[in-house]
Amino acid sequence: MTTVAMLIAFFLALVLETIPSGPVYGMVHPDFVAMLLIYWSLRSGSELSYTLVWLIGLLQDLVMGDVPGGQAIAGVLMIYALMNGLGKVRHLSVWEQLIFIFVLLLLHRLIVWLWQLWSGSVSWHFSLLLSPLIGALLWPLFTGLLDTLRHHLKTSS
Amino acid sequence: MPALFFPRRYPPLLRVAALILLSLAVAAFSEKHPGLENWSGNLAYPVHWIDMQVADNWRALHQYLQDRNELLLQNKRLREKIKVMQPQLLENEILHNENRQLLALLDSFPRPPGEMATTQVIAENFSPGSQLITVNLGSINGVKVGQPVLAAGGVAGQVIHVAQRSAQIALISDLDSSIPAQLADTNMPLLVNGTGHINILSVPFQSRNTALKVGDHLVTSGLGGRFPPGLQIGTIADVVHNGDEPFAQISVRPSVSLGQLNTVLILLKNPPPVQHGKS
Repeated sequence: MTTVAMLIAFFLALVLETIPSGPVYGMVHPDFVAMLLIYWSLRSGSELSYTLVWLIGLLQDLVMGDVPGGQAIAGVLMIYALMNGLGKVRHLSVWEQLIFIFVLLLLHRLIVWLWQLWSGSVSWHFSLLLSPLIGALLWPLFTGLLDTLRHHLKTSS
Repeated sequence: MPALFFPRRYPPLLRVAALILLSLAVAAFSEKHPGLENWSGNLAYPVHWIDMQVADNWRALHQYLQDRNELLLQNKRLREKIKVMQPQLLENEILHNENRQLLALLDSFPRPPGEMATTQVIAENFSPGSQLITVNLGSINGVKVGQPVLAAGGVAGQVIHVAQRSAQIALISDLDSSIPAQLADTNMPLLVNGTGHINILSVPFQSRNTALKVGDHLVTSGLGGRFPPGLQIGTIADVVHNGDEPFAQISVRPSVSLGQLNTVLILLKNPPPVQHGKS
């Protein structure tokens, strides 16, 4: 049941990524899909399937219209870093997690940027740092909302 | 969670490496077979459909919430605009008639306007470098890769991918975009490139003593046959002659406000170029 809910959440995150709301939003909005990936792998007890992470990334590439593969690689590497290098994040408080979330989102963003650099054209812009920062600042709200939702789903089913 | 394709018995590093190789393979494959990428655009349609519903409702709500004062102000502004535009329209008509007469003297006929399709923007992807929008018309409406896209004010971009019910458009500010242009009043051929930042375009390869100056209007030249000639591209906003650079740095402000596109026009049939003389 929660898996279905998470897949719906990914769908909504993709909608939020592409909603037409001007260039400023486009440049600075946090990567909701990446945040959801982190949330899911922190909350699910076992390791998240890398293949599923990869498929979600690939779908994101298709939706955004980039050369397919960039978001997929970034997602897989980010979850790998979370699982191995930064595995202790789960035991920290929400506020202490912020810095880790920032690092992870920045890693994700930079991998996507490098991919675009390799596969086409891209230019450097400060918003590349701003988007992970906003994502990290929204993290407590984001997890709070999803935790409440998950709690409701569990008690109702 | 089921472990698809790669069973858990392989170490994580191996699984990650395999997926990275798979990504590279997918990218290489889609580069070689553009048809596949156009087809796979259909998979994204459910997301784009919801985007469209949300955007529509948001716009409707925004219009509903505009208060009376704002509407009155807007009304006043538009009235002022009409006052300015009406004489221009008259002048336009005179010029149009004159143009027809001149074309008749040259024994050629006025160009029929191309076939256009109005379409709505349903998704955006603005990141440094790439400026892509998705619209709700696709191959079943006759949209094809390479067709020019216009908006209020002039050229907006061109179609780069087409799925069945949606198409992706690279705006002229996209880093990969480049269109043949000329000054509005001369035939000097130029290029206008995207810079990757919305609202800034550039003119490359102009020597430091270039004749271009701030305020010059640039229009499409029609060279290459992709864009019809004479469409507004933008106005030169800045010309910098840097001592060390071999070329002048010329930035152009696009005449279309690319960040606020709701509706765009796709030119489905490019009008044939004007034929001078008897053929």
